[in-house]
Amino acid sequence: MLPEPFTPEFLTQLETLRLRTRKEFLGSHTGSYSSPRRGTSLEFADYRRYSPGDDLRYLDWGIYARTDRLYIKVFREEVDLFAYVFIDASASMAFPSTQEKFLPATHIALALSYVILANHDHVKLHLLHGESMGPASPFYRGRRRMADCVRFATSLEPRGLLDLAGSLGEHLKKLRRPGKAILISDFLMPAQSYQRGLNLLRALNLDIAVIQVLSRPEIDPPFTNGGLNLVDSETQGEIRLQWSARARQEYRTKLAHHNSELRSFCHQSGIHYSIYVNDRDLSNFVFATLPAIGLFK
Amino acid sequence: MEFLNPAALYGLFLLPLLLIPYLIRRKPRRVVFSSLLLFIEHGGQAIAKPWGRLRLPPIFFLQLLLLLLLILALAEPVVSVRLSNIAIVMDNSASMQALEDGAARVALARDQARRVLGDLSANGKVDIFTIVPQLQKINNEPVSPSDALGLLAGVEPDDLADTPANYGDVLNQLTANQKYERVYFITDRPLRGQSDVIRVLTVGKPRDNLAITAFSVSPSSLVNRRLEASVEVANYSGQDQRVTVTIRDDGSGSALASRELKIPARRTASATFQGLSEKPYYTAEIDATDALTLDNRQYAVAANARSLKILAISPRPQALNSLRMIPGISLTIVAPEEYQQTDRSGFGLEIFHYSAPALLPLNPSLLVLPPDSNPVVKLGNPITRPVASGWRESHPLNRYLNLTLFRPAYARPLVPQTAGETIIETVQGPVAFTIEHQGKRLLVLGFDPFPYLGRENLPMSIFTLNFLDWFISASGTKGRATGEPVALAAAPRESILTTPRGGKHVVKPASTSFTKTFYQGIYQLNRGSDRQLLAINYQSASESDLQHSKPIELKPTESAIQGGSTLFSFWPYLVLASLLLFIIEWFFVPPVNRRQLLAAAPGPKLS
Repeated sequence: MLPEPFTPEFLTQLETLRLRTRKEFLGSHTGSYSSPRRGTSLEFADYRRYSPGDDLRYLDWGIYARTDRLYIKVFREEVDLFAYVFIDASASMAFPSTQEKFLPATHIALALSYVILANHDHVKLHLLHGESMGPASPFYRGRRRMADCVRFATSLEPRGLLDLAGSLGEHLKKLRRPGKAILISDFLMPAQSYQRGLNLLRALNLDIAVIQVLSRPEIDPPFTNGGLNLVDSETQGEIRLQWSARARQEYRTKLAHHNSELRSFCHQSGIHYSIYVNDRDLSNFVFATLPAIGLFK
Repeated sequence: MEFLNPAALYGLFLLPLLLIPYLIRRKPRRVVFSSLLLFIEHGGQAIAKPWGRLRLPPIFFLQLLLLLLLILALAEPVVSVRLSNIAIVMDNSASMQALEDGAARVALARDQARRVLGDLSANGKVDIFTIVPQLQKINNEPVSPSDALGLLAGVEPDDLADTPANYGDVLNQLTANQKYERVYFITDRPLRGQSDVIRVLTVGKPRDNLAITAFSVSPSSLVNRRLEASVEVANYSGQDQRVTVTIRDDGSGSALASRELKIPARRTASATFQGLSEKPYYTAEIDATDALTLDNRQYAVAANARSLKILAISPRPQALNSLRMIPGISLTIVAPEEYQQTDRSGFGLEIFHYSAPALLPLNPSLLVLPPDSNPVVKLGNPITRPVASGWRESHPLNRYLNLTLFRPAYARPLVPQTAGETIIETVQGPVAFTIEHQGKRLLVLGFDPFPYLGRENLPMSIFTLNFLDWFISASGTKGRATGEPVALAAAPRESILTTPRGGKHVVKPASTSFTKTFYQGIYQLNRGSDRQLLAINYQSASESDLQHSKPIELKPTESAIQGGSTLFSFWPYLVLASLLLFIIEWFFVPPVNRRQLLAAAPGPKLS
């Protein structure tokens, strides 16, 4: 049973999309993504000198006529894609509630997964929380595995404190095939923390996309003016402050600066970046925003 | 501006309590948020300082003002419009001699009076009063402030205790009668209550003090001529004290006897000195260095001998003749009809035996089975050999007396017609009854103790010696308190009475008392070649107790309120302003909104 947004129409629309990569990876099967290896696709890649034993069908007879030399046409190999979807499952993703933040994040992940599965590519879901390695699904391939993806993504409640670099590092230790990495998180963590995590992904030569998911109360806290005893959902740390219009404005400025810093880092690092706020329409985000940043072909 | 009820100003300390509801309302709501990253500044501080700046709504300041006005209204602020006619009542009781850091309280009181007079207009009129021996004005006509200062310089405390008057009433009466705009009472007693016209200015603080409260020198009994001194010392402090009591011959100043005495806190202790040599008068001193030195010394006069001069009036003189066998007794017997013509001066006791005077005599008297025409008692039916059914315990008249053996052959129970004390009582009624009349002792017996038979009738003889001793002690050497009148025996001519401070007073032949005993010491009465010494001592426990002075109760009376016309009181305006503010506050925050505000005070948890 698929979640509510995954209507037949939505799924049909998703099937029209294809994930785009900016890097070439070595696939395991023939697929639709170019590989650094030469193969038998229709896309011409290069010439090379004929060697005995080469298939005479690929001889370029025009060059032979002009230069009296034998050259063989070489084509690119097209392979399938291995995609890794990392979902932040820390306690902050349950603010203000699991349904309002974590669930939209999983829906985005599932939508991306369906796009991948529909193209007969491989997708693997990773849930990030704590410092250790969180649960990770096996590679799924084919749209019939969508139910498994849904089951896995909804199997866990967000909880605990996330050390992004630490948790990612544990997951990446077992990653053998390069591919596309999509990280879905609120990124409400110090810049050094997410930068170290994203650099780990970059070090593995993954084509990275980042989707920041925020809830509306995080953008515009609904506090009334007065004394507040704020508790961090992850660390349970407390601070007391006096909430006022000025403090609200200051918070907004800091959030904008924080997001801008994240976006800037992603831009400099060749990472696709997009932000999703939970009160936004999911299909609009998937079919308008994500193609706009170059995530889909 | 002054406050008639300054105690209400302590309410100002309660004003900060008004913050409590706002602080409770401001109690931070506990809200879980996804991450506090963006609330923490670079240095780890909160965006806003913890608690932030105390932001109070305007309604708080309105309520603060409202409370402030109410407290000020309770304090009853008044503004003196003008003062031109005041009275200064100086406490000149003995406790004003107490020292406060080297200065007498009376000097501090003068300083206070100087300040009061300094605030008075130059053409103001002042009356000066002192309170002992009674409230009296020391100036005939109202004086100017500068003249009042001169008068006050001459006010010295007497050795007199404060009168037990209700000064609140007395001063209110004074204010009403004399129409003073303000009366300043400068005293060392604390104040309780308040009045808008009467101002009590208290000088001095509670102090530790030791005092000799009793001192007497007398022969130990009628027949024993050895002198015995008894001294009682009171400790009016919170800790035990040890003092040395010294008995001196006041003439030469030499010490006759001395003893160390330990006195528990807030208690008294007494010492007895026996075998004193005969001196004209004696002084008892304690070596305490306390606040009030006046009560560290007392005086006493010892009789040269225990003698009693008796005038007996009896139709049966034979029975009374037996008294002559008692040492120290000199007896004159007259018939009842000769009594009026008899010169009664110089007699220490008049015995009316089966007779009675028309009026009570001025000398101490004994009435034995008086006729029914006497003014003191009625006599009941005769009884024979009555048994004593009750008696006054530890009374000098019952001393050494076994009343079970005390059975007179004939008696008539007494029916007292005046207040007195029953000494011996039978089933039928009292048979011995004493009265104090104008400082004189009167004993009425319903039986005849005469003749004096010595050992042959021991109970009756002991009783006879007891009442003779009792009469001697009354007329004897025991010191009197300052302020008490001294009873004088009738004299044929004028006498001179010299006070301890050298003042001389002429005593008329008809004078029966001397009242100006304002100073402690030895008073000397010279009647020709006769010289009589009187010891007058300052004896006031309430005045010597400098720790617990009785407060002065002031109650505003109608007359006092009328007299307060010079004070403009504006507390009603403050109350009106408070009401107005209350209405404004009601308008801004009606109770419904208030409840909503309070209900909404704890913020909702967002997760």
